Amino acid sequence: MEYLFSLFPVILFLACLFLLDSFKLVSQKLLLLSLLWGIIAAGLSYFANSWLTNILNLHYTTLIRYIAPVTEEVLKALLIFALIRIRLIGFVIDAAIYGFAIGAGFALTENTFYIMQLGSDTELFVWIVRGFGTAIMHGGCTALFSIILIAGMQREKSVWTSSLAGMALALFIHSGFNHFAINPFLQTLLIILVLPTFFVIIFNQSNSMLQNWLEIEFSNEVEMLRMIRQGQFKATRAGEYLASIKKHYSPEMIVDMYWYISLYLELSIKAKRNIMLKESGFPVMPEVGIKEKLIELQQLRKQIGKVGEMSLRPLIRINHRDLWTMNQLK
Amino acid sequence: MEVKLSNLNDYTVVSIHGRVDTLTASDFESKILEVLEGGAKKLLLDCSDLAYISSSGLRVFLVAQKKMMASGGSLKLCCLQPEIKEIFDISGFSTIFSIFPDAESAAAQ
Repeated sequence: MEYLFSLFPVILFLACLFLLDSFKLVSQKLLLLSLLWGIIAAGLSYFANSWLTNILNLHYTTLIRYIAPVTEEVLKALLIFALIRIRLIGFVIDAAIYGFAIGAGFALTENTFYIMQLGSDTELFVWIVRGFGTAIMHGGCTALFSIILIAGMQREKSVWTSSLAGMALALFIHSGFNHFAINPFLQTLLIILVLPTFFVIIFNQSNSMLQNWLEIEFSNEVEMLRMIRQGQFKATRAGEYLASIKKHYSPEMIVDMYWYISLYLELSIKAKRNIMLKESGFPVMPEVGIKEKLIELQQLRKQIGKVGEMSLRPLIRINHRDLWTMNQLK
Repeated sequence: MEVKLSNLNDYTVVSIHGRVDTLTASDFESKILEVLEGGAKKLLLDCSDLAYISSSGLRVFLVAQKKMMASGGSLKLCCLQPEIKEIFDISGFSTIFSIFPDAESAAAQ
């Protein structure tokens, strides 16, 4: 019974979040990696907390209220930070699911450890609080950190500012939970009521933002590429703009910019098409030459340089989300 | 956006008039689903009067294709205006759908 109450709720919650991902943004491999990282983070936290308790001679209350939340939240967040930095997370939905999965892996390890330590004589109430309260709190805190970090990246805020803001909120909730200022049962009830509602609202908002993004960008990009392929690019506002900056760059650079725009549009359209296919339950079409084109795009981006890219911003503004979208083609 | 229904050989022909974009996609989807729920096994989307299609519209086409595949039916597209055909070609959707130049050749196969 203790296994059922302490381990099952967090897995069920994770499964529900996974099902809410209507655009199929989450990769199963990364989801498993996140769970695994949660397990590793729990192990590392155990050693870090034990070591800190010994060297700082900490009281148990100080440890669980102020020290453990820091070590645990930082360790859990490391993988999310890395995944976002290497652009394997692009949207709020996948960020939240991977974040929750890390917290779930952490909580599963922690609760299994407690079951082994305390045995089956412990009151059922303890396992209900650990399973529905502590475990969901662990998942929720890392998910919140992930949401705030990715939202910051999408708004082109500094990665450090967003990370600090996300971490501060995660620490506030974790530490607050560990204070047990209110009845643990009520606290658990609060977590059960608030977190699912919060996630449903966030997922709905994110889904509609994603749909709008696809709607606007896909149509604009198709239209611009159509004009380029028909040789009518000069007649478009984008073409006029490129002609207006011609005098500032060498002819070779202008040619590179033209091909950069063209190749970017082609790849971006294909990546967005793949998102639409996955959403509708179709397999993504394998395409010959995609890797070479992605390499070519990287090369052109380097050749154009930061200044050239800045000049192209009125036409193409590649942000974190766009780079993630491109990554989906690999 | 308007939708007209007719029959050609074994096919239920859905003629789409106007634009299928964010504003009209859900209306279009419910009309297509109504046709599918009515038991149509062979569906032909006549796009001769389709003036514009956005990603929301393409998504409805994909939903219809998926449902037809699941029920063992067949979905074909015909009479795409050159600009619309280009959208399908550029985005790679033309390899997913069976596209025919006219309704007769689509319904004949």
